[in-house]
Amino acid sequence: MSAALEFDAVSFGYAGGGTLVLDGVGFSVPEGAFALLCGATGSGKSTLLRLAKPEIRPAGELAGTVRVFSEDVAGLSPVASAAAVGYVFQSPDAQIVCDTVWHEMAFGLENLGVPEAEMRRRVAETCNFFGMEPWFRAQTAELSGGQRQTLALAATLAMRPRLLLLDEPTSMLDPIAEKAFLGLLFRANRELGITVVVATHAPRAMAEYATCAFVVDRGEVREASVAEVALRRPLTVDKGAVHPAGSEVVSARELWYRHGRDCDWVLRGLDLRLVRGEVRALVGGNGCGKTTLLSVLAGVAKPQKGRVKNALAASQALLPQSPKAILARETVREELSEWGSGAGYGAAEVDAALEELGLADAADRHPYDLSGGQQQLLALKKLLLCRPQFLLLDEPTKGLDAAARERVARAVVAAREAGATVLLATHDMAFVEAVADRVSLMFDGDVTCTQPTAEFFADSWLYRP
Amino acid sequence: MRRKEQRAAFASCHASVPATLFAGILALTMFCVQPVLVAISLMGALAFSALARGGRATLAGLRWQLPMLVLVCLANPFFSASGSTLLLRLGPVCIYLESLAYGAVMGALMVAVVLWFEGAAAVLTQDRLLGLAHGRAASISLVISMSAQLMPQMLRRGRGVEASLAACTAAGPCPGLRDRLTRESGQLMGWALEDSLERADAMRARGWESGARRTSYQPDVLCESDAARLCGIVLALAACALLAVAACAQWRFYPTMPSLLAWWGYVPYAALMFLPAGAALSERLRWRGLE
Repeated sequence: MSAALEFDAVSFGYAGGGTLVLDGVGFSVPEGAFALLCGATGSGKSTLLRLAKPEIRPAGELAGTVRVFSEDVAGLSPVASAAAVGYVFQSPDAQIVCDTVWHEMAFGLENLGVPEAEMRRRVAETCNFFGMEPWFRAQTAELSGGQRQTLALAATLAMRPRLLLLDEPTSMLDPIAEKAFLGLLFRANRELGITVVVATHAPRAMAEYATCAFVVDRGEVREASVAEVALRRPLTVDKGAVHPAGSEVVSARELWYRHGRDCDWVLRGLDLRLVRGEVRALVGGNGCGKTTLLSVLAGVAKPQKGRVKNALAASQALLPQSPKAILARETVREELSEWGSGAGYGAAEVDAALEELGLADAADRHPYDLSGGQQQLLALKKLLLCRPQFLLLDEPTKGLDAAARERVARAVVAAREAGATVLLATHDMAFVEAVADRVSLMFDGDVTCTQPTAEFFADSWLYRP
Repeated sequence: MRRKEQRAAFASCHASVPATLFAGILALTMFCVQPVLVAISLMGALAFSALARGGRATLAGLRWQLPMLVLVCLANPFFSASGSTLLLRLGPVCIYLESLAYGAVMGALMVAVVLWFEGAAAVLTQDRLLGLAHGRAASISLVISMSAQLMPQMLRRGRGVEASLAACTAAGPCPGLRDRLTRESGQLMGWALEDSLERADAMRARGWESGARRTSYQPDVLCESDAARLCGIVLALAACALLAVAACAQWRFYPTMPSLLAWWGYVPYAALMFLPAGAALSERLRWRGLE
């Protein structure tokens, strides 16, 4: 079988950077394959993928040859490359260009100058394939993250590429949306014969679809078995003994909340009690109200009915889903120092935090120049420097690789040991197992059950760490 | 969303049909300063607004539009003290009936124009309007399309940033409004710029500026019945424009106003001004009949 994507002795270093990101890489992905490209954040997976797409190739020194269907990509015109190689990015927010679904679907075809009749046909067939007709006329801003990512995939496939490259396409999605997306991707691979190469740091969910796997590590690429890359590696964090029941510090009674008068209720008579020093995990389906509950408990959203008593309201901190909502300064050091005067810490604590984060060398870099995992750890550290007594975390491990998840878990355990009460909303069950004392399952705007973590998993039919 | 869209007036026509109709109606309304024509246009606009946007939205708009009408009416004598029927003398200012009448007609005209714009916006969503450009000025269309998507996103993020800051009480007292706004605007700009790098790559990856001649996808197709409607509307607009010219030639505010007479020419003008409301009503009745 011929190769769809071939790297032949490829070396690459960023412009101005000393070390090579890729050093003499050689591998090939056969036509029709579903290939995984695994490796930690920052290992060079994205760079590798982008080298196969000249329009978005990063600036730097490239040696060696990258071939797509036996043709050197350096010789491909932008039109030929856009038509032959599709590329799906990580962020569901940033890669959508148009305001309506129909226009987004047609955008690439318009750019390639496809005649209108042919364009209509391709858009129609792609929408049929993905079952997108019900939301074809919708505004893109109204779509969920999962739908936006499906749209990004469909809009790329409407251009009928033979090779599809995806960079962490599911890292911002919840598990249900991730499964739905991967199902569609798998169908595109098997039914339409499109060769798929996915860069991911969480290959487990894709293992059942993958036909081959490659590991990117320290500038080199080696072939590995799918079973090897998909092996489950539990988080190795010692959370210590389960805390004895302390005094009740936060309580919510019969909370009713909706975002507007014509909206559905998000919380319906919800009750929740937290005792001092516990780590409580909130789990449940997407849109069950976890984020809303965190906002209501933090006092930034007012319930229409019911009461919240929060004895720790004067010393709380909330980590939102995107760390960018917390990061507001020009450098990493300024970021950590921002709340120093208000919270009573100084330069010594900031230096220690930089050391702990491993960012002492990056103290003068812009926070956005850090990887997603580093940004999340920086935002969490910024909150922890204020020594909050009540810590609310919304999806703290979303999009993070194993190493970063482990560091977040350690930070949570350390905060608990320092006496903080922690409430975290998450889909990451391995993380729940590693850090939580008790788990509350949310459903239909209420807490369905609350159990100690081990008991919760033992009794659960669905949730597994 | 689809349900609402399907039931709106002119949803089943090509966008050029309502666009031409509303553009013509707006032009007639703006240029015909004659009491009967303005009153007809205002009534037509109110009827369409009530049907297309709903009674509640129309009334909410009137809460500021009616005071505006009264204000323009009362303010005009201070700017244009002419006329022949003196009503009142306020120091050096003479208030004439003609001057008040002119103000009232201009106020009503402004309210009618606002209502027609609101009604047109309810029918001609932004993507339908952009579709009319038929692929010309692709960059401008794209900028408008992107801002329609990104402005709400930025506002949503702004609320998120604000809430995150308010929730972090451990960070000490919340900064003052000015500091908070400076911090927040810088943060949102940075965030948007960061996103724009990936969006620019996503655009290039899908062939933006690849050198090929762009084509354009039209979600609505101009069919024969649309073309016929369009011809009918253009003819009706032309006829009404002639009638309006005749009506305006007979009318003056200063120095004295002639008396208004019943005239057959108002009937076709009214028919045109009530055409949008009629279309919205028939759409509504059709649905009622089906349910």
